[in-house]
Formats: sequence, C-alpha cells, structure tokens
Amino acid sequence: HGIKRTKVDAAAIAARREKEKEKLRAYLESEKEILDLKEANEWSEAALQLTEQFLNTNPEHYTIWNYRRDIFTKLVFVSWTPEDAYQRLVLDLRFTTSALKRYPKVYWIWNHRRWCLENTPSGPGTEPDSKGEEGIDGWEMAVWSQEVLLVEKMLSLDERNFHAWDYRRYILSHCPPSLRRSDADELAYTTRRIEKNHSNFSAWHQRSLVYTSLWKEDPSQRAPALDQEFELVKNALWMAPDDQSGWLYHRWLVGSGDDVTILEKEIGVIEELLEVEPESRWTLDTLVYYKRLLMKHRSEQGKRQLVEECRRSLETLCRIDPMRRRRYEDIGKRILEAYSYNVAYNIQGATL
Amino acid sequence: MANATTDAASDTSTLAIPVHVSYIQKLGESQDDLMYHLTSHLRLNAVYWGLTALCVMKHKEALEREQLIEFVMSCWDEKAGAFGAHPRHDAHILPTLSGIQILVMLDALDRLDAERVISFIFSLQSPTGSFSGDRFGETDTRFCYCAVSALSLLGVLDRLDKDRVVGYIRRCKNFDGGYGSDVGGESHASQVFTCVGALAILDRLDEVDSETLAWWLSERQLPNGGLNGRPEKLEDVCYSFWVLSSLSILRKMTWIDGSALERFILSAQDMEAGGIADRPGDMPDVWHTLFGVAGLSLLGYPGLEDLDPVYCMPTDVIERRGLRKAWLALPRREM
Repeated sequence: HGIKRTKVDAAAIAARREKEKEKLRAYLESEKEILDLKEANEWSEAALQLTEQFLNTNPEHYTIWNYRRDIFTKLVFVSWTPEDAYQRLVLDLRFTTSALKRYPKVYWIWNHRRWCLENTPSGPGTEPDSKGEEGIDGWEMAVWSQEVLLVEKMLSLDERNFHAWDYRRYILSHCPPSLRRSDADELAYTTRRIEKNHSNFSAWHQRSLVYTSLWKEDPSQRAPALDQEFELVKNALWMAPDDQSGWLYHRWLVGSGDDVTILEKEIGVIEELLEVEPESRWTLDTLVYYKRLLMKHRSEQGKRQLVEECRRSLETLCRIDPMRRRRYEDIGKRILEAYSYNVAYNIQGATL
Repeated sequence: MANATTDAASDTSTLAIPVHVSYIQKLGESQDDLMYHLTSHLRLNAVYWGLTALCVMKHKEALEREQLIEFVMSCWDEKAGAFGAHPRHDAHILPTLSGIQILVMLDALDRLDAERVISFIFSLQSPTGSFSGDRFGETDTRFCYCAVSALSLLGVLDRLDKDRVVGYIRRCKNFDGGYGSDVGGESHASQVFTCVGALAILDRLDEVDSETLAWWLSERQLPNGGLNGRPEKLEDVCYSFWVLSSLSILRKMTWIDGSALERFILSAQDMEAGGIADRPGDMPDVWHTLFGVAGLSLLGYPGLEDLDPVYCMPTDVIERRGLRKAWLALPRREM
C-alpha cells in the first residue's frame, strides 16, 4: 500500500537484482536453515537466536514466529529457570517494541506481544497489597504496566491505528486489577484525545464502548450522562461540521427518538447549525433523519409539515451531494410511502 | 508535444485487460526479487487473488491448471491438516480458505482431504462463537468469515452451530451499524465485509442495521470517486471491493456514484507494466488488481465475468454449488 510508482527500465531492474542477489541468497539460506531445524523438531537456544535474527529482517513470516513460540514452550519454559525465562520474555517484548516502531500495523508482531504477556511465568511476589489481591507478582506487574505505556506511545504516534486501540482494550481488560482504568479514567482519556483532535473517530468509538458497558450495568446512568455528552459533541459539530465522527456519535446518542424532549432539543441544536451553514450536508441529512423519528410523536398535520420539510432538505441534498443522490431519493420515497400509508389507514405512530 | 506512446500510457479510460493478464502471469517469475520472497507469507492468498482476477477478466486459461493445483497441494501442512501460505509454512485459516477457493474454481476439490480441513477449521472455534487463525489463538472476524465461507464451499455448513456464530457477530456490531475485528473493534470496511458476508452465507442478514450500515458505507465515497475504509481515511482501490460487495449484499449499490468509482479504479491502473495500484500513481500489486477488477465487475463494467460479492468468486462457480444469495449488482453494460 502507498508505494509510489517509479518508471523503471529493464537495466535498472537488473542492476537492483544484482545488488540484492547476495541479500536474497543469505535470506533464503537462513530461512531454509530455520525451517530445516523446525521440521527436525530442534528446540535449542541456537535456533532461538536464528529466528530472532530472521524476524528482524522479516517480521511478517508467521511460521517462524510460530517456531519461536514453540521453542519457548518446549525449551525455555521447560528447562530454564523461571528467572531466565522471564528475562528472555522481557527481551522478546523489547524486540517487538522496536519492530512495532518500524511496522506499527503488522498483526504478527502484535500477536507475539500478547502471547508473551499471557505466558509470563509466575515470579516472586511483591508485598501483598492492601486488598490482598491474588496473582499479582513483581514480574506480571512490571510487564503489564509497560504495556499500558507502550500502547499510549503508539496511539500518540497514530491516533487511528486500530491495532493499537484493539491492543489497548485487551490490556485494560486483562491486566492485573490494580492497573485497570476506571470508566471515568477511560472517558477522560477519550475526552483528551477528542479535544486534541475532533476528527478522532477511534476515540469516539471507544467512548461509545465505555458508555454501552456502563449503561448496561446501570441504566439509570444514561440520562444524566446524555446531557454532558450532547454538550461535548455539540462542540465537535460546531468546530468541524464536515467531519463524520461527531455526527455518527450524535445519532447514536439520540437513538430511537423515543424521548421526544431530547429529540426536539437536538433538532433545535442542529437547526441552529444549519442557519450558519445552510448547505452543510451532514447537518441536512441528520435533520431529515431526526424529523423522521419525530413523526411518530406528531399528529397528522404535524407529520405533513415534517414530510414537506424533509422533502425540501432531500432536494437540497441531491443537489449538493450528487454522488449519493439515489440514497436521498430512496429515503424520500420511503417517507412518502409511510406517510401515505399512515393517512390511508389512519395509523398513529407508524415508524417511517 | 505529447506523442502517441505517452498518450496511450496515460489514457486510463478503459480496462487494459491484456496488460493485466500478462502482469499476473509474470508474478511467478519474480524469483530473483527479494520482495517476492519477503511476501511468501501471502503466497497462496496471492495465487487466489491472481486466479480470481483472471477469471473476472475472462482469461482463466492464462495460468496452467495442473501447475496451480500442484502449487496449492504443495502448501498442505500434513501435521495440521490444512493449508499454509507457502510450502513449509504452517497451516492458517487465511491460506486455507484461499486453497479451497482455488480448488473450487479449478474444479479440483477431489484433491483435498476435506475431513481433515473441516477438523482443522472446527478446532479453531471458541465457545464464544469466534474463530482463531491458527493454534495460537489470534481472534478476528476475518477468520470467522474464512471459516463460514470454507465450510459452505465444502458443503458442510450444517455442521456449524450457526446461532453461536451469529451471536458472536452480533456482539461485534458497533454504534454506527458497522463491524470491527473483534468485540469492541472500531468499524472498518473490510471487517464489515467479513461480518456481512458471513451473515449472508448463514442467511441471517436480518441481524444487520441495514439502513444505518448502508449509509455508513455510502459515506466511504470521497469527492475523487474513490472509497475509503473508515471515516477520515484515504481512498484505496481495495475498498472498491470491501465496501461495494457489502453494499451489493445489502442491495444498495446505487447509494454511491458508480461511474465516479469506476473512473477512480481505472485511473489506478499501470498501463505499461500492468496491474492496478491502491491509488493513481502508486505501485500496482496483485491484491489491488483483483479488488479493482472485482469492483468493476460489480459496477457492471462491460466485458467482465459476473462476480459473487459474498464469496469473491465467479458467480457461475457459486451458482453451480447452489450457494447464491440475494445480492444485487449493477447490470452489465454492453461494450
């Protein structure tokens, strides 16, 4: 991905191949040597060394990562002292850290890190903590606390690296209890990321996860949180109305539109924005969406009014966003069909 | 003043099939290239991408059938009972699906020890309904799709506890109607494809928030006509498949501008060396070549073979196995 094309002629290609010839020979020889050892079931320190050198050149060779892990399982964890095994794992983590700096999106490297964490041997305990929590020893603590730091470093380099976000979620849900973040901490983290860059969809997504879990546990928390969230996202919408992140999050907050007070209030907020930017397509699209939800709360006359408003907005949308014209036309058709059905059968509150 | 050669090289208004066919044929000849060997962990997948692209361009015969089958079988990991990406590489579900797909397209499934592969696939399923890639346990919705697709191509989907898989996919659904790599993963077009594709195979598209997701997908189209994979990211030809196939399965391909996308894909061609790149001006590769022509096929580009968006394989192959679902692509235009 993302490699610029350069005009190369046959002579240039031949020259490059000549240069690479030795490198290639050495690479293939090394690969063959390692795979021969693997197939002969050799679990030795020498083999471990060879795999490390090789993976430094090509960290995407998953079969050789597999072999390395098997050597750990069959040699290191079996015949070495726990202390030596632990030190060896720490070195592996360091090795993957430098590999990730060069290749931040290679699945195989992230996988190996997880494996190292999950296979950290039990080590000498630290002072038992005040809660007397079990299973936390000095080695586990050292290793897991490093991970939180690493993942924050990776995210500061690239806020949209989903490998790093996935890994962060994994760390926070599997680390020793004393290292876990509270929901409030996690929300604060996402707030910082969002305030730094409103266009950080990954942070908005993370926020939606924290709340989903919070509200599932305690539904009474939802109402008070909503006020705060609407404020937060309103800022984002005003600062960057052309950015998708805030709009998607806003729609999620509004939800099914069963709460007519929230719905009316937020429609008001969006209409204010529309006054300032009358041809902002996300604003228009969102208004149509919310007005459709509003229809179920309205009488026949109110519905008719909303249908007309939607029709006009959709017309504008077709004009300013011709690429997605068919979508707007489809939505318009649906609204009309549902409304006509409503009128014909005198049905209240039908979903449009 | 521009000469005829320059004009020809920069005129990307049509799909240069002969030059792409030749590009694919030459891929196996790069044995002296270090980069060729550095990507051996993708080799079997790459053969599937190349073969499928050839089928779509109606040049299936450009690669020799028996040679292909031999290569596929040389990737068999006898210990695990499945395919690795390359001879001597360990079995993994990604190349295993590719191996099966190639054998199906070449009508050579009889070469496979199907029961062993089926065992391998089931050994990767967790109680939560998710699938790992191999014995080391990496979980990803990609592997879920691979498992469901592979089992369906082998005709043994009935052995799967479908509800369990559907339950897992449901938990991967996000606030925007999209799907991520695992529970809690951010929505991403390629993962949307894997989840929607798997649900299509399992006849459970009722699980999808169709309107919300189709909207999210339609918003992948950027002003230059290309598609991106998630909000605020760059366009990339491979999303011409991931996004488009998902829209096709949801029967809402008209929600994007097909002509603009077509022009974008065509502009990413390398008219001299052949192949299609991720975007205009970049180096082509076989991955983008496949997904570029796959996108064009779904868009109804003339002269191409019909492609099934659920399986990313020719429709006639899928129909013959009775696996066709109710997706909708744009009608094929006349030359």
